[in-house]
Amino acid sequence: MDPLLTFIVILVGMYGLSTSKNIIKSVFSVTIMESGVILLFLNLGNTEGGSIPIVSRASEVIADPLPQALMITTIVIGSTVTALALMLCIKVFHHYGTVEWREILARGGGK
Amino acid sequence: MPDMLEVTAYALQVLLILMAIAIVTHKNNGTIIILIAVFSLVTASLYVINKAPDVAIAEVAIGSAIIPLIYVISISRQREFIVLDKAMDDFIISDNSFTGVGYIFLKRFTDFYHLELNISNDVRLCSLGAGRDQLLCEETNVDLIITKDEDTGKYILKGKESSILMNKLKQMAKDYEMIEVVTFKDRDFGD
Repeated sequence: MDPLLTFIVILVGMYGLSTSKNIIKSVFSVTIMESGVILLFLNLGNTEGGSIPIVSRASEVIADPLPQALMITTIVIGSTVTALALMLCIKVFHHYGTVEWREILARGGGK
Repeated sequence: MPDMLEVTAYALQVLLILMAIAIVTHKNNGTIIILIAVFSLVTASLYVINKAPDVAIAEVAIGSAIIPLIYVISISRQREFIVLDKAMDDFIISDNSFTGVGYIFLKRFTDFYHLELNISNDVRLCSLGAGRDQLLCEETNVDLIITKDEDTGKYILKGKESSILMNKLKQMAKDYEMIEVVTFKDRDFGD
């Protein structure tokens, strides 16, 4: 397991964000990037040969439980951010009649 | 013999990158939602390999169940155009079927934008007075309100001024004498 993987996942999400023509596609890309960040944090907290942080099963070396607690919060907040972004997407659709970035700019959005 | 856990971890990493590329490059939204759910399951197994079973439980519940549900609901609700019918006469329904002049007019308009027409005559919302129409448009998700002017016999369609859809509706209504389109001005909430 190496941090390069998480970098590649974040990079793929960044590629999707910069090439997407559609608002919903952009929200999908943000979801992918978020997963990459969570993997990076868990990977940094995991020490070589460590066990899971449960007291009755712990050996001398355990994985760091602090990043794990933070990442549960990140997952929950990520889902609410997705819901909020999609709600704004519906509002944009009812305002401009489309969810394509280029069409919205052509119809006077973003001023 | 190589360590089986390590081999699984490498296979899952390759699968994760392939899924991410598939999600980014795919065209169909329905397929992407299924791919997102599978992507979440693969990440959950990687969390377990990284010695974080508690995060994996949260990811399986939220990432592969609730997030696809949110996407499905929002994509299906996105194309709804909700009309509140306060007039309740043969403008929309004549001879017990949707063949009224107003219905054909609204159907033509929604077909132009590939929207789904949803006509409601909720008793609770219809009983509100005419002075509260603007508030109704702003606070609920109603897009258009139909009322009837008793003196002239004209039907008045009310909607928000800021919407580009309303401009198109105004243009289309020029062909009909009995239909008048009125728009509310946006109020500033910023101050």
